Amino acid sequence: MTAPAAEATSVAAVRSFVGSRQVRRRAWYDWYAMGFAVVLFAVLASDILAEPFSRLTASPGASPPAQAVAGAALVVGAAAGLLVLAQTFGPLAISPADASWLLLSPLNRRAVLRRPLTTTAVLAALAGAVLGVLALAMAGPYLPRTHHELWAWLVLAAISGAGFFMAAALTAVLAQPSRRRRGRLRTAAATTSAAAVLVGVAGRRWSGLAHTVTAGFGHISYLTAWVLAAIALATACGAVLTARRMLPLFPAGVLRDDSVRAGRTRLAASFLNVPLLTWVAEDNRWRGQLLASRSWPRLSPAFTLAWADWRRLGRRPAPLAVLAASTLAPALVAAAITGHARGLTIAATVLAGAVAAGTQGAAALRRDANDPTLRRLLGVNAGAALAARAALPALLSAAWLTLALTVLVLAGVLSGWLWPALGLVAAPGAAAAALRIARAEPIDPSQRGPDTPISTPPWLATRAISALLGVIGCYPLLTAVRAGRADGGTLAAQVVLSAIVLGGYLFFASR
Amino acid sequence: MTDLAVVVRGMRLGYGQFVVLDEVDLTVAEGEIVAVTGVNGAGKSTLLSCLAGLHRQLAGTLTVLGSPPRDDAAFWRAVAIVADLPTWYPGLTVREHLDLVRLTHSPIRGWCLPADELIDTFGLAARADAVPLDLSSGQRQRLSLAAALARPSRLLLLDEPEQSLDAGFRQELAGLLREGYAANGGTVIMATHDADFAAAAGARRVLLAEGRVAAPGLAGPTP
Repeated sequence: MTAPAAEATSVAAVRSFVGSRQVRRRAWYDWYAMGFAVVLFAVLASDILAEPFSRLTASPGASPPAQAVAGAALVVGAAAGLLVLAQTFGPLAISPADASWLLLSPLNRRAVLRRPLTTTAVLAALAGAVLGVLALAMAGPYLPRTHHELWAWLVLAAISGAGFFMAAALTAVLAQPSRRRRGRLRTAAATTSAAAVLVGVAGRRWSGLAHTVTAGFGHISYLTAWVLAAIALATACGAVLTARRMLPLFPAGVLRDDSVRAGRTRLAASFLNVPLLTWVAEDNRWRGQLLASRSWPRLSPAFTLAWADWRRLGRRPAPLAVLAASTLAPALVAAAITGHARGLTIAATVLAGAVAAGTQGAAALRRDANDPTLRRLLGVNAGAALAARAALPALLSAAWLTLALTVLVLAGVLSGWLWPALGLVAAPGAAAAALRIARAEPIDPSQRGPDTPISTPPWLATRAISALLGVIGCYPLLTAVRAGRADGGTLAAQVVLSAIVLGGYLFFASR
Repeated sequence: MTDLAVVVRGMRLGYGQFVVLDEVDLTVAEGEIVAVTGVNGAGKSTLLSCLAGLHRQLAGTLTVLGSPPRDDAAFWRAVAIVADLPTWYPGLTVREHLDLVRLTHSPIRGWCLPADELIDTFGLAARADAVPLDLSSGQRQRLSLAAALARPSRLLLLDEPEQSLDAGFRQELAGLLREGYAANGGTVIMATHDADFAAAAGARRVLLAEGRVAAPGLAGPTP
C-alpha cells in the first residue's frame, strides 16, 4: 500500500469546500430570535445564580453549615452528572455527515478530529469554570479570605474548576474506544454523584457532619487555592497532550457509531424529543443481550400488552435503583436553597421526579407512539391498552412520591405523616403527565413547520402541555409542598383532582 | 503467482453475548470478485465490517492487502466500503458529493470514473443538482455506489449493493464491476442475496452458514 500523503488534500480545504456550498444568508428574524434567546437565557441564569453568588461575600452566619454542605454536594453531583452526559454524546464526536464522508478516507485523522476535540475541551472548561465558581460560592462564607482577595479567589476557583473538569472530560475521550473503560468511568461518576447527594442530605440531619465539612473549608488557605489551580492547569495540559497524541489512532468504527448516536441524541435533545431520545438509549441498552424467553401470564389482551413494561423493568433493575436514589433530590434541594425560591424549587423537583418515575414504566407505550405497527399487529384496542398501561407509571410515581416525601419529613423539611399519603394519592396526576410525554409523537425536524421569532413553535407547545398536565394533576400537593403545610382538605382535593385528571386524560386520549 | 488481497484464518467475532462468525477461513485473490451469500443473520455484513477494520475480531488472523486492517490514511486510500446509506451533507448536491469524494482522495492515481461520467452511468443526470434527500431510495443507493467508484481503490467492500436497484441497473452495475473495476486490478467482496447479479458480475460465491464458511465457492451461476 502506498500513501502519497505529501500531495493529499488538507482537511481545511475539504471543510472549506463543504462550508462554501452550505452558506445561507441569515435573515433579520434569525438574528432577532438568536438575540432573544441569549437575553432570555441570561435573565433566567442570573435569576437562578444570583442567590448562590450572593454567598461569595456573605459571613458564616448568613449560610448555615448544612446549607453550605448541601450546596457543595449539588455542585459535585452536577459535575458528575455532566460527565455522564458528555459520555452520552461521545464525548468526542463528529457530525454524522463527516463520519460518512471524511472519516473513512485518507484525510489526516488528527486534523479531522482536532476541531471536535477543541470543542469538547472548551465546553468542558467553560462548564468547569462555572462549577468552580459555584463551589467557591458554597464554601465562600467559611473560607479564610479577606474581602479584597475576592477576585483572586474567583479567578483561582474558575481555573481550578475549568482545569479539573477539562481533564475529566478528556479522560472520558481517552476511555471512549474501550467499552470497559467507559463503563468504569460512568460507574465512578455515578458513585461520586450518589455519595455527594448522601453527604448533602445527611449534613442537614446530622449537624456534626456539616460542621466537620465546613471546618474543612476553613483550612483551605489562599496558598492552597493557588496550588490547586496550578495542579488543575497541569492536569488539563497533560490531558490535552495525551488526547491529542491518541487522535490519529482513534478507531474509526467506534467514532462512526458514537457520532451517529450523538447526532441522533443531539437532534432529539434539541427538540425536547423525549421519545426519540429514549428510543436511542433503549436500543443501546438491549443490543447484544441474550435474554431467557418466558411465557406470558394469563391476562386480558390489554394487560398482556401492558405486561411488556413490567417485564422490561424486571429485566433492568438499575433504573429502579437510580429512581430510589433520586428520592433524596428534593431533600438535597431543600437543604441547598433558601429564600422565596426554596418552596417553589422543592415542589418543582417533586413534580419532575414523580413524572420521571412514571415515564420509566412507559417504554413500550413510547415505542408504540413512535411506530404503532406492532400494536396494530397485535390487534389490541388502543383505549383498553392505554388504560392497562397507566397502572405501572401510576405505581412508580406513587412509590417515588411516597419515598421522596418521607425523606423530606425525616430531614425535617416537612412535618407530619400526612405527606406520604398525599404523595400516594397524587401519583395518578403525575402518571397522566408521564403517559402524555410517552405518547408524544417524535418531532421530525423537516416536517415541524417554520419557527417564527414572535410565536411559540408547535413542537414546544406540545411538550409544555405535558408539563402543565402534571402541574394540574398534582396541584394540591405542589401548593402544599411550596407552602410547607398540608391537611385533610389537601388530601381530599388531591384525591378528586387525581381521579379527574387521569380519568379525563385516558378518556380523551382513547377517543 | 497471484497476489492475495484478503486472507482470513480462523476468525471469530461477536457482539455482546452473540457469536456471529466462528472459525471463518477465506482467501481472495487480487482482481477477483467474491459474492458472500447466506441467509439473513449469517454474518455477511459483519464479515465485511471486519475486513474494513471497523470491528475487531475476537480470535484468528486477518490480512487485507498484505497487512491487518490498519485504520489509517493508507488503508482508506486502498479500501472503499459501501454499507448503510451515508448521512448526506445538508445543502450539498449529488454532483458536489461526488466532487467531495474526489477531493478527499486527491491526488487521484489509479482507475476510477470522473464525476460527470458517473452521473451519466448511474442515471443521475436529471438529478445531478438536487440534494440527495430529494432522491428516491434507489437513486440514493446509486449515488452511494457511484461515490465508491469516484475514487481509486484496490479493494471494494459492498454490502448488498443490489438493494433498491431495479433489475436492469443491477446488470449494468455487475458489468461495471467486472469490466471496469476488476479488469483494472481491483478486488470486490460483496454480500448479496441476488444470485443473478453475482453471476453477471462473474463472482465466485462463498456461502456463509451459521457463522462459518459452508462452501468456499465456485465461479458461475447459483444452483
